[in-house]
Amino acid sequence: MKLTTKQLTLCALLTAMALALSYLENLFPLSLAIPIPGVKLGLANIVTLFALYALGAEQALLILLSRCLLGALFAGNINALFFSLLGGLCAMGAMIVLSRRQVLSVYGVSVGGAAAHNCGQIAAAMLTLGSSAPLYYLPVLLAVSLLTGGLTGLAAACLFQGLSHTDLMKG
Amino acid sequence: MRQPPKLRPTLWDFLTALCVAALAVIVAVFQWRGGQTQGLTAVVSVDGAEVDRVFLGYAAGEKTYQAGDYTLTVEYDQDGAQVLASDCPTRDCVHTGTITRSGQSIVCLPGRFILHLEGGAADPNAIDAVLG
Repeated sequence: MKLTTKQLTLCALLTAMALALSYLENLFPLSLAIPIPGVKLGLANIVTLFALYALGAEQALLILLSRCLLGALFAGNINALFFSLLGGLCAMGAMIVLSRRQVLSVYGVSVGGAAAHNCGQIAAAMLTLGSSAPLYYLPVLLAVSLLTGGLTGLAAACLFQGLSHTDLMKG
Repeated sequence: MRQPPKLRPTLWDFLTALCVAALAVIVAVFQWRGGQTQGLTAVVSVDGAEVDRVFLGYAAGEKTYQAGDYTLTVEYDQDGAQVLASDCPTRDCVHTGTITRSGQSIVCLPGRFILHLEGGAADPNAIDAVLG
């Protein structure tokens, strides 16, 4: 993959924003309201969704991988890397497929991504624990993904609307 | 932009949400159905290996387990089990509360700890038969 200076700068900026959003959502732990391992708002998914439409799948994947790796390094928790990678890659795969079907808006793509992310996290938990016990939480996590996916979709829609008058994404 | 996104919800978005909700219901039906509340046995596993098995009919009280770098205190009574205290970073296991039906689990991911309820087991100390 060959990137121009502008693309590389945008990727770095979006990675930094995704890391900041991941850190920010730790200040609002959704797990206090819904006590299930892995439940979170998924604010960093706003950046992934934005990058997917604005920069394309390859650069969005690059941003996702950088965010997962740096997030695990900064948190000093390499165990979390497997969870965020599997969740993130599932979400990315689902969003790439759904966004290619031009019939969905950012809301539908975001909800699909959030649901796939939770499926990936549960798969990671099952593989890590060597048990199917985490599957018990999947129905609640899928229900939560309707809410969190809708919210991140709304944030992404506002972002696209706000940037529609700029030439930031052109070319 | 490579591919301008639609910014207003479409009918297909609602169908996508409906598919996610349907998947949640299907998994719930298979995972949550028919949980028993009698004859429960709590099975404790750490790092994939079973470390304890407690029959809840005896209201066993509290037990402490070492799960990796973390210590978890579990309270058992006749109705169910709960993680009373844990020094793991997220403490989701503590926030889960009491589990009371077979099939339910409390998972502590940082400690790789699972507390799982199995149902329908016979009392291991029950008298099999009375003769004479």
